[in-house]
Amino acid sequence: MSPQAKKEQNKILILATETCAYPGADSVGQAHSTYPANTYILRVRAPVLFPESFYIDCFKKGISGIIVMSCGEECPYEGAYKALAKRLDSVYKKMKKMEIDIKRLRLTAICTVCNRAFLNEVKQMDQLIREIGPPQLMV
Amino acid sequence: MSEKNQNVGVYICYCGGNISDHVDVEEVRNRVEKMPGVALARTEMFMCSDPGQEMIIEDLKSGKIDRVVVASCAPSLHETTFRDAINRAGSNPFIYEHANIREQVSWVHHGDTATDKASVLIASATAKAKQLKPLDPIRVEAKKHTTIIGGGIAGIKAALDIAQTGIDVTLVEKSPILGGQLNNLDRLAPSGEKASEVLQELLDQVLNHKGITIHTDCKIQDVTGYVGNFSLDIVTKSDNKKLTIDTGAIVMATGSVSYMPFEGEYGFGRHEQVITLKDLIPILKENKSAGSVLKVNGKTIKNMVMIHCVGSRQIPGIHQPKENGQLNEYCSRTCCAAMLNVSNQIRENFPETGIYEMYRDIRTYGRGQEELYNQASKNKVIFMRYEADAQPEIIPSPKPDYPLQVKIKDSLTFNEEMEIPADLVVLATGIEPDDVSGLASMLKLPIGTDKFLLEVHPKLRPVEFPITGVFLAGTCQAPMDTGEACNAAGAAAVKASALLSKGYIELDPFVAEVDTDKCQGHGACVEACLKEGALELIEVNIEGKIHKKARVTAALCLGCGACAAVCPEKAIDINGWALKQYEDMVDAIVSDGFTV
Repeated sequence: MSPQAKKEQNKILILATETCAYPGADSVGQAHSTYPANTYILRVRAPVLFPESFYIDCFKKGISGIIVMSCGEECPYEGAYKALAKRLDSVYKKMKKMEIDIKRLRLTAICTVCNRAFLNEVKQMDQLIREIGPPQLMV
Repeated sequence: MSEKNQNVGVYICYCGGNISDHVDVEEVRNRVEKMPGVALARTEMFMCSDPGQEMIIEDLKSGKIDRVVVASCAPSLHETTFRDAINRAGSNPFIYEHANIREQVSWVHHGDTATDKASVLIASATAKAKQLKPLDPIRVEAKKHTTIIGGGIAGIKAALDIAQTGIDVTLVEKSPILGGQLNNLDRLAPSGEKASEVLQELLDQVLNHKGITIHTDCKIQDVTGYVGNFSLDIVTKSDNKKLTIDTGAIVMATGSVSYMPFEGEYGFGRHEQVITLKDLIPILKENKSAGSVLKVNGKTIKNMVMIHCVGSRQIPGIHQPKENGQLNEYCSRTCCAAMLNVSNQIRENFPETGIYEMYRDIRTYGRGQEELYNQASKNKVIFMRYEADAQPEIIPSPKPDYPLQVKIKDSLTFNEEMEIPADLVVLATGIEPDDVSGLASMLKLPIGTDKFLLEVHPKLRPVEFPITGVFLAGTCQAPMDTGEACNAAGAAAVKASALLSKGYIELDPFVAEVDTDKCQGHGACVEACLKEGALELIEVNIEGKIHKKARVTAALCLGCGACAAVCPEKAIDINGWALKQYEDMVDAIVSDGFTV
């Protein structure tokens, strides 16, 4: 990459479900509503794919905040949301043990037209990580 | 998973200024072409245009690249376009990854940050593309037969439409007769034709169609199998006769029931003069009495009150939930038109019967429905509006001429308190889905918080479940009128027919795959799997020793990845959406594309 590119220190990773939250993020774009550019959206089929270690590793790698934007109770994969919520509970426990602020990881439901909710989630996470900075962990 | 020496071709779209007005596309190209694994990076005014697609095809054919990343608009718009282009080049369409730099970059960020973010997203997509491998669609033999569950109007219509394409149909109905809720209706809003005539026309066709088999008065005991090869065990209620149906696809058309008011709700169950609209319609249907005033059960109705939104649009804290805590927060949609339709019939046939309609909002949303409202106004139906937290109160009338009195704060007259004498109070009860939780559990079908069956996506895939080969139609999905239920049934029928027409099905290859060398047979994946039968442990003989290994039944796998998350050896992953690919994408994001 060229040296002109500025390295963003506070990065927010967004795991967005392909049937709900990812089209929701596209809807925000269609409305031309701006939000902080330190957000990186990964399209996922169901966030239940990610093991606990994925989240912890992301923080170790330097990701400052993660927002899991799921379909919530309206998840098309029967049982997946419950399994995800349970998994994130375990992640929170690990985060506490490792003294990672649990506010860095947020589970939320975003629908295909939830523009305001999307912007709100991003804004809140951005404010938080601007205050507390990137996690200081050994890789 | 990955092959060595991947050469990724990256194609960056200007989108006619939509992207390039905010992202310095040529600067992005400069950065991207230096990234490891990138064989070439090109730009184009419109990548989706023929010249854009031809560029990809030529590069693939000449062997310069073997992976493709297109950075353009949202993948929902052109992912298929570019996969098709790759296919036309003779390459595998699954060596493709998309970077969304319009909806998620140029339309939301500006200036240098937009250029930087576009570069990182492309770096991340490239990291994934390097991990992609060619995939083949999963081919499954499919029985050219569909089973429709539910013999209401949606089920009947779906059965006919499918059978007319040459695919055999079995129609399964739990009650002894076909027709569902249409049997309870009289004149259909807004057009006024008789429900019985519409139903009879369809029944004549269904009963005489050689390709349609009908089983009434039966229930489904078990459903097994997968798309193209489902098996349903049904049993007849009257003689306990068992039957197995082998079928390629299933359409859920299980319908709905009418909301039952609790005792005391608007006086229901306490005053015999309080009835539901569902009760009134058959009375009107059978009513042959002449004269200028309506008679119900021999009693003259001088004044009647119709109350809207009973069991619909319920608000927590205001309305009383059911024993299970359920509140119907949705609008049942069809009741406004149904009420107005009935009011018009009564006012036009029995002009001396006065009607008061008490509503929260009039929602005559469909074609021809607003005319019903206008007609009711012309027919001198008197409208009064109540707020959700000030519901009309039904009490015995202090006057001897009427049995009941309805008290209302009418917000149309600035909350003036009115007392309306009434011979009859009619409640417009809402629509509730029939309880099919047992069947939904067997088939692993999602149910929404409103208890209706839940499609994959309300706009993009409105008649499909995530379980391939299972569709839905009619009021099991949401409140619909007869026309809308028929529309949905037609859509589900086309989907089912298209799926089965070839006799085999090609499924997306995005399913779990086991690395049998790594698999230690712990079985954690089988335990975590959300779809029964999709994953199992089998015994394998390796050099004289028996080992347990996980095995995926691809046609059953949902591709959700619940298995991949729990394998300690990382021996199972989702093709095309692999955990390792996401890890690499995160690395690319963290490093701003420097160490891709």
